[in-house]
Amino acid sequence: MAAEGGGHSPIEQFAIKVVQPLKLFGYDASITNATLFMLLAVALIVGFFFVATRNPGRVPGRLQGAAEAIYEFIASTVRDNLDDGKDGRKYLPLVFSLFMFVLVANMLGMIPGFFTVTSHIIVTAALALLVISVVIIGGFMRHGIGFLKLFAPSGVPGWLMPILIPIEVISFVSRPISLSVRLFANMLAGHIALKIFAGFVGALLGAAGIAKLMAPLPLALTTALTALEFLVAFLQAYVFAVLTCVYLSDAVHGAH
Amino acid sequence: MSNDDQSGQKVPGEIPPDDREAIRKRAAELGSKLDTAKKRHAPPPSNRAKGEAMAMGFRAASELIGGVVVGSGIGWLLDRWLGTWPGFFILFFLLGAAAGMLGIIRMAQRQTTPPAPSVPRDRDDGEND
Repeated sequence: MAAEGGGHSPIEQFAIKVVQPLKLFGYDASITNATLFMLLAVALIVGFFFVATRNPGRVPGRLQGAAEAIYEFIASTVRDNLDDGKDGRKYLPLVFSLFMFVLVANMLGMIPGFFTVTSHIIVTAALALLVISVVIIGGFMRHGIGFLKLFAPSGVPGWLMPILIPIEVISFVSRPISLSVRLFANMLAGHIALKIFAGFVGALLGAAGIAKLMAPLPLALTTALTALEFLVAFLQAYVFAVLTCVYLSDAVHGAH
Repeated sequence: MSNDDQSGQKVPGEIPPDDREAIRKRAAELGSKLDTAKKRHAPPPSNRAKGEAMAMGFRAASELIGGVVVGSGIGWLLDRWLGTWPGFFILFFLLGAAAGMLGIIRMAQRQTTPPAPSVPRDRDDGEND
């Protein structure tokens, strides 16, 4: 059994399993393990902030301090990347919610046996499409048709326009794609790598003779990779928040 | 307030303009010294700085890949629609690569802001109150 690396495929952990079949208006809206973990993430976030802000003191307690530190962190990210003043701050709740959801979903995935929702491109793509929709709607609401000037940078000679406009359009269209692919690919690759190296430990222990002595090597690597994955889980949530700010600053400030 | 303050005579709790100038000069001097000393003992990059560098790396890589993938995709679709394979594919592949590079350049421009000086330039120009 252990000789075949536990008999598990490294991608089995990403399988979607229906927990509670459900039909809504003819659509398949079954409750799956992904649904449950998304709900769990949201419940943890709401629960944490509910408890942390229940009895706010002038001198913050431990939980309140943590909640304020998280808020400060995101607020300063928004300040740095969305530029101060104007009405960049009205997007703070969106950036904050996105960051918390991605972070908690990533961190939940690090618990052995738990499901990682952000390792599915459909989840990250939905988040990225939300961001880009807000950019487009917010941009048109603020600048009207002038928002399209985003694709025609000022101070460029006219003959360059036929080249530059397609480049700007491609660069805009690639945003939601790179936003969603980056998060999903990092989480997917990280979890597969962890599973494979952990599988080597079992495979080597099951092997004959001298190979048994090699088993600690992949174990050490798995430990190191786990630490790296925690870093990546945080970093990807942070990058998602930063890029959301950068893209939203187009909506707020219009053309570069 | 009254105008006698300007006459240079001692008013309790008031800094004469000469001293004020000297103090400002010393503060600026100390500030610049502090800045050079700080530069000399540049602290090893903190974990946060390392993390931010890594985040920038992820962004740069995906920016370039995203541009190329989207460009090639648009070109491929145009070719399939117009039956001109591989003309638009090649054209839009190049445009996509250019878009990716442009994204990285913009990202780098955003990042290059020098650190603030230790003693901020003070703005009150001798207003006595």
